[in-house]
Amino acid sequence: MNSPVFVLNTNAKRENQKEAQQGIFLAVKAVASIIKTCLGPQAMLKMILDPMGTTVVTNDGNAILREIDVTHPAAKSIIELSRAQDENVGDGTTSVVILASEILASSEIFLEKKIHPRFIIKAFRMALDDALAIVDQYSLKIDTKNRTELLKVIQSCIGTKFISKWGDLMCGIALDAVQTVHIQDPSDSSRNEIDIKRYAKVEKIPGGDITDCKVIRGVMLNKDVTHPKMKRMIKNPRIILLDCALEYKKGESDTMVDITNEDDFAALLKIEEEYVQKICEDIIKLKPDLVFTEKGVSDLAQHWFVKKGITCLRRLKKTENNRIARVSGATIVSRPDELQESDVGTECGLFEIRKIGDEYFTFLEECKNPKACTILLRGASKDILNEVERNLTDAMNVARNIVLDPRLVPGGGAIEMALSQALIEKSKSIEDLHQLPYKALAQSLECIPRILAQNCGANTVKLLTELRAKHATNPSENYTFGVDGEKGTVVDMKELGIWDTHAVKVQTLKTSIESACTMLRVDHIASAVSKQ
Amino acid sequence: MSNKVLNIDGERISGQDVRNQNVTAVTAISNIVKTSFGPIGLDKMLVDNIGDVTITNDGATILKMLEVEHPAAKVLVQLADLQDQEVGDGTTSVVILAAELLKRANELVQRKIHPTVIISGYRIACTEAIKYINEFLAQSVDSLSKDFVINIAKTSMSSKIIGDDSDFFSKIVVEAMNRVKSIDYKGDVKYPVNAINILKAHGKSAKESTLVEGYALNCTVASEGMPKRVQGAKIAFLDFNLQKTKMKLGQKVVVTNVNDLEAIRDRENDIVKERIQLIIKSGANVVLTTKGIDDLCLKYFVEAGAMAVRRCKKEDLKRIAKACGGTVLITLNNLEGEESFDPSCLGQADEVVQERIADDELIVVKNSNKKSASIILRGANSLMLDEMERSLHDSLCIVKRTLESGTVVPGGGAVESALSIYLDNFAATMGSRKQLAISEFAESLLVIPKQLAVNAALDATDLVAKLRSYHHAAQTDASKKSFSYSGLDLNNGKVRNNIEAGVLEPAVAKVKCIKFATEAAITILRIDDMITLFPKEKGGEDDGHGH
Repeated sequence: MNSPVFVLNTNAKRENQKEAQQGIFLAVKAVASIIKTCLGPQAMLKMILDPMGTTVVTNDGNAILREIDVTHPAAKSIIELSRAQDENVGDGTTSVVILASEILASSEIFLEKKIHPRFIIKAFRMALDDALAIVDQYSLKIDTKNRTELLKVIQSCIGTKFISKWGDLMCGIALDAVQTVHIQDPSDSSRNEIDIKRYAKVEKIPGGDITDCKVIRGVMLNKDVTHPKMKRMIKNPRIILLDCALEYKKGESDTMVDITNEDDFAALLKIEEEYVQKICEDIIKLKPDLVFTEKGVSDLAQHWFVKKGITCLRRLKKTENNRIARVSGATIVSRPDELQESDVGTECGLFEIRKIGDEYFTFLEECKNPKACTILLRGASKDILNEVERNLTDAMNVARNIVLDPRLVPGGGAIEMALSQALIEKSKSIEDLHQLPYKALAQSLECIPRILAQNCGANTVKLLTELRAKHATNPSENYTFGVDGEKGTVVDMKELGIWDTHAVKVQTLKTSIESACTMLRVDHIASAVSKQ
Repeated sequence: MSNKVLNIDGERISGQDVRNQNVTAVTAISNIVKTSFGPIGLDKMLVDNIGDVTITNDGATILKMLEVEHPAAKVLVQLADLQDQEVGDGTTSVVILAAELLKRANELVQRKIHPTVIISGYRIACTEAIKYINEFLAQSVDSLSKDFVINIAKTSMSSKIIGDDSDFFSKIVVEAMNRVKSIDYKGDVKYPVNAINILKAHGKSAKESTLVEGYALNCTVASEGMPKRVQGAKIAFLDFNLQKTKMKLGQKVVVTNVNDLEAIRDRENDIVKERIQLIIKSGANVVLTTKGIDDLCLKYFVEAGAMAVRRCKKEDLKRIAKACGGTVLITLNNLEGEESFDPSCLGQADEVVQERIADDELIVVKNSNKKSASIILRGANSLMLDEMERSLHDSLCIVKRTLESGTVVPGGGAVESALSIYLDNFAATMGSRKQLAISEFAESLLVIPKQLAVNAALDATDLVAKLRSYHHAAQTDASKKSFSYSGLDLNNGKVRNNIEAGVLEPAVAKVKCIKFATEAAITILRIDDMITLFPKEKGGEDDGHGH
């Protein structure tokens, strides 16, 4: 046999065990190093220029990683962690990536020592189970009715963000918004619904000052009335919501009319007119003050409405219409001839059109029992507003988590240090090969307080040893000691009032450890067939 | 060169060269999947040209995604695929076995034994092996303790990403399987794997995956105004649009009377309204359709307090209909040409509810009667979820095969070692050249326990020798018969009774694996000439027709 045999496509790239594993470690470390400086109260922002030329300025882990174009498959999967974290709990997107990378890095020495990844994975899983139990043990419950307590928690989340300067205001906004959209199932108290995505809408209007931000217990729309003569302020309006056009629309089937004499043509036009008039009359019969529709409104219909003193707005989005339905108690109607009294919404207290900056905005406020709200953000520029929105979304997610699961753990790296101590202690009782990776994972949890210390410019070694000593002396009492991310000292988080939600911490641990395990199992990277 | 003589526009390799080449190719393929074999195997990461990543441990998936070019290697890829379809698991072992068989056959050929002799030797060995499995090794499930099914599921999971949580997942798998158990018209018990819907949602941890007693759909209610929870649901299954009626095929209606136009418009709206009213009147409070529902029709459902879900998948709908005892309707027309909705077409469910999972919502049709199950997988990221799904699917298939066939064999290389000893002795009774082929077959089977031991970083030679001695004792000494269930314990590097340890595989899977591997090896072994035509040059200068 003289010629070589080509089994696989020769262009395909393949990496065997050693290369593959090293590649993964490098890639994951690189990703983590990008966002390392975004952790903690002294975090710095990143400016990212996307291919379209627009800039994103943020310190939100997920937002940064989303924009970055990476090629290594392992890096991609790490980036996805941050997205999963964002979708599930909405906070801790930076720490999950840092932790995952640190845990992977801690396993590197074991692979070099030729310990089979399986043992490492097994040890990590054991550690995860133990860690979750310890977090439960160290968590404390708070009363969701106590507003100041809740605000404190949200405050510590916002503390690391751009908007921390306006912390009190933003916390209030986040909490109000979440409490507004919180619906408890009367028959089953465990079924809570907090749908921030749909019902807590953030509207950004450049201009003004951040202190002007507020929660509108109702709906705000970027719309003006269709006809200048319509009323711009109505108290206790009767609201009708439509999702059909108030103009003549042809039928779906292809129809053709053969007109043989002139009268027929006039009749045809008349029918169109009469149709509009009829639907308007159907609406007017119910004596509404306000009519919203998702489709268009013809001039003729506007004329009828103005005559009767009805204000009309057109071309709403479906989501906006849904929110109005929720605040006003109206039902969205698709055929005007089927309108009933029960479809009219009366729960809104005030309708008003205000001019902000250069544009007109519609406000529906003072609702009796709003189950939806709009958060109005003001700020100097679009970039700032976008960052404020991202921060606020995080804050709202924290608020939601705390309402759904009112358990807290100390922040500022305290819980990580406590976990690390407890797991190291536990690792001593493991007899077999699993002990070392277990211990390594425990130590890698220290990365959170370490990076916090690094980011505020403290003496990392000194601070960390001090903290470790504190935790070691009396774990059951001192578990709340962590790093003050501003001063760079060891403090009791109880005094500083920095708390994280249990849900976020638990999710961070689960996601980072499980993904590290997935990566560890890989021993071969190959390029696959193209999908066509 | 031979191609000069034959005048072909290509390359021709024949005789020993082609055999060598085939063996090299096949060995290369088996080398790729080899390290992912067994409970201590690792995963492969595959990246396609778009950059999409797959992490997997499943032999069939790995091979399917690789760009395999060599024709003989392609045979193995198809082999893995076949095993996947027929059994659902054991895709890696079938490839390893086939490659080993071929390698050893090639050595025999080099010793001047004609391939046809080897082929018939392999055939005999294969038949004998299967006979032996069925007669001596296969255990009827009746003789085993109740949790044998769980052990089966665990064994098939052990090599996968969910291996560490196999206690947890095996319970889910078995429970799901039991829920979908059905008896067909012949009285046979069937376990349709397809009836189990696996949904993936990232976030939380693998251990928070849940089994839903009912069917979960990846849809949301059509309108926010609808109830998110309906108890005592009566479900209508539709396979048509609930939209403004529109005539098909671009027909045109020509009207002469102007007022008729208006009538047409009204009628368009009314037809669908009447249909919806028919549905609601029949008592339906949940409507699932595969097609769309117009926004303007939603109001009728909202008013009736009914839940409507649009754009469900047709397969999903069929399964829910089956589980709830409803019928999927293609039209409302009855035989008289009128429209009606028969209440007997409605399906019953205890509860239909929309639940939030991570950032998504899904509709769950809960039913206390059996016949449907859904597994919602949770995990750190989508790579992990995809791999979990594949692993679960393999386990489900294995459990199905076991329950349907009713016999199991010990895993961990026990069957292979037993067969190897048996065939070795059997070969000695053959007085022809086939003897050599059969004893090579016997030797080839040992590749499975060897590879298991190698992947676990154990001393393969030592362990396999020990294993063989146990099996030899079992087959010669009647008092040590229980030793025939001895297999490897890879975590501790020992030999143990794998039936007692609960390392089990369905007998069908083993039988099929040996059969397929033998057939594939024979197919490739029969080749003694390979002609590769050069690809035709596209857009060549003159094709000889002279236009």
